[in-house]
Amino acid sequence: MTLNENEITLTLNGESVRAWAPSRMHAADFLRQRLGRTGTHVGCEQGVCGMCTVMVDGQAVKSCLMLAAQLDGAEVRTVESLAEENGDLNALQQAFKRHHGLQCGFCTPGFLMLATSLAARGEPMSREQIRDEISGVLCRCTGYEGIVRAVEEYLQLQQNEGQVVEVEA
Amino acid sequence: MKAADFLYHRAGSVAEAVTLLDEYAGEARLLAGGQSLMPMLNMRLWRLGALIDVNQVPGLDGIEAEGEGDLEETRIGALTRYVSLERSEVVASRLPLLAEMVRHIGDRQVRNRGTLGGSLVQGDPTAEMPLGCLVLGARVRVESGRGSREIAMGEFYDGSYAAALEFDEMVTEIRFPRHPSHFAFSELTRRHGDFCVLSVAVTGECDSDGCWHDLRIGLGGVSDMPVPAEAASARLSGTRLTDDDIREAAALTVEDIDPPSDMRATAEYRTHLVPVHVRRALQQLRARASATELLTRTRENR
Ligand SMILES: Cc1cc2nc3c(=O)[nH]c(=O)nc-3n(C[C@H](O)[C@H](O)[C@H](O)COP(=O)(O)OP(=O)(O)OC[C@H]3O[C@@H](n4cnc5c(N)ncnc54)[C@H](O)[C@@H]3O)c2cc1C
Ligand code: FES
Ligand code: FES
Repeated sequence: MTLNENEITLTLNGESVRAWAPSRMHAADFLRQRLGRTGTHVGCEQGVCGMCTVMVDGQAVKSCLMLAAQLDGAEVRTVESLAEENGDLNALQQAFKRHHGLQCGFCTPGFLMLATSLAARGEPMSREQIRDEISGVLCRCTGYEGIVRAVEEYLQLQQNEGQVVEVEA
Repeated sequence: MKAADFLYHRAGSVAEAVTLLDEYAGEARLLAGGQSLMPMLNMRLWRLGALIDVNQVPGLDGIEAEGEGDLEETRIGALTRYVSLERSEVVASRLPLLAEMVRHIGDRQVRNRGTLGGSLVQGDPTAEMPLGCLVLGARVRVESGRGSREIAMGEFYDGSYAAALEFDEMVTEIRFPRHPSHFAFSELTRRHGDFCVLSVAVTGECDSDGCWHDLRIGLGGVSDMPVPAEAASARLSGTRLTDDDIREAAALTVEDIDPPSDMRATAEYRTHLVPVHVRRALQQLRARASATELLTRTRENR
């Protein structure tokens, strides 16, 4: 490994992948340009817009504020992991569609990954809390109302499913 | 924009990190949460020879309760992320002011990555953690190839964005003495989660006869670094925090500030706001203390 070109091995959406990246390349560019996963969007590259939000080791992060080299050994989940194998939208994506949680769709991958990480926490959340938790992704189209409703519905669904599993177990 | 070229090192230990800092002689920086460093590099506000990633250094994070009673101390590793402070039971019970303040930082993703040590070294005059650590009397532990030392938060800054560190020094932990009995926090932001226009943190002790002492008032965003409002604190010592006491003390706080004019507010507006927010924070302090007092009495009567 030279110091300004790094070999990176990571688990991306459940698959082990290996690639090289220059030190100065941020993780969002790496996902898009080196790994061809263009679902992750790039807006400001200064940590403000949240378009580049992905999950790294289970936590939502802005991938423009991580170096590609920092993904070495990490478990990364991007928006490409959400839909079913046959292309059907998952429950979160369906909720966004039903509640008009997107218009141009540029912000949607960020919201979907942030909401996925929220659901993984398995905590019930009020509307206020949801608004606070998703404030790190900006949407210039929808006015957020549909996004909040979709996330709320999905979290409730996950909660109910969690309870069913607990009862069965 | 994209960052200019630099070399990347992943340090495996504190010793390795400080050796590299020394070798680069000021041309390298440590990479912690990256929530300040990465935007600056991406915007090319900064060019560096190398980044030394300390995220994999074992033992640099963690929150530990040490000692009991007056000897109580709480130790927080420099790499401890905001999210860990938010969710820590030790922080909730032993450093409740910090637990309250950390929720005002940025957004979920920023708090998932940003670290306590990174925030202190970054030294943004409006940042929450430097103010909280100042008011709580924290001490910062610093290591280099030359040895280690401890710096009191009151002496940690030379100016705005300027921690009083040598280029080969690294922050390893922050130590907090026993937390005061009562506390309150007030801040004004233009947008949810944004850096603040100004912030006020207050703590104090209240006797059983209702007299206050050991008051500490800290102000953020109104000087090059968070500052204690000493004249105001002294004015309140031994009082019952009546409305008159609070009003007079709040008026004294303008002596300790040197507010900037920037895109968030003018110096004039900040000067107007400081006494207003100090008043609010002190009223909250008083209200919380009487609520606690009431609760204790109700419990005793049961
Ligand atoms: C959208 C957004 C909103 C934000 N809002 C707020 C806010 O409301 N309030 C707030 O306080 N902050 C805010 N921040 C900044 C955030 O708190 C940063 O996390 C923090 O300032 C830096 O911590 P870090 O761990 O990310 O450090 P980094 O960015 O990795 O490093 C910052 C500096 O500290 C140095 N450094 C880091 N760790 C050490 C160490 N252990 N020893 C010596 N030097 C070290 C680095 O070399 C660098 O110079 C925001 C950031 C973003 C992107
Ligand atoms: S592109 Fe990463 S936050 Fe805007
Ligand atoms: S749908 Fe267009 S920015 Fe959100």
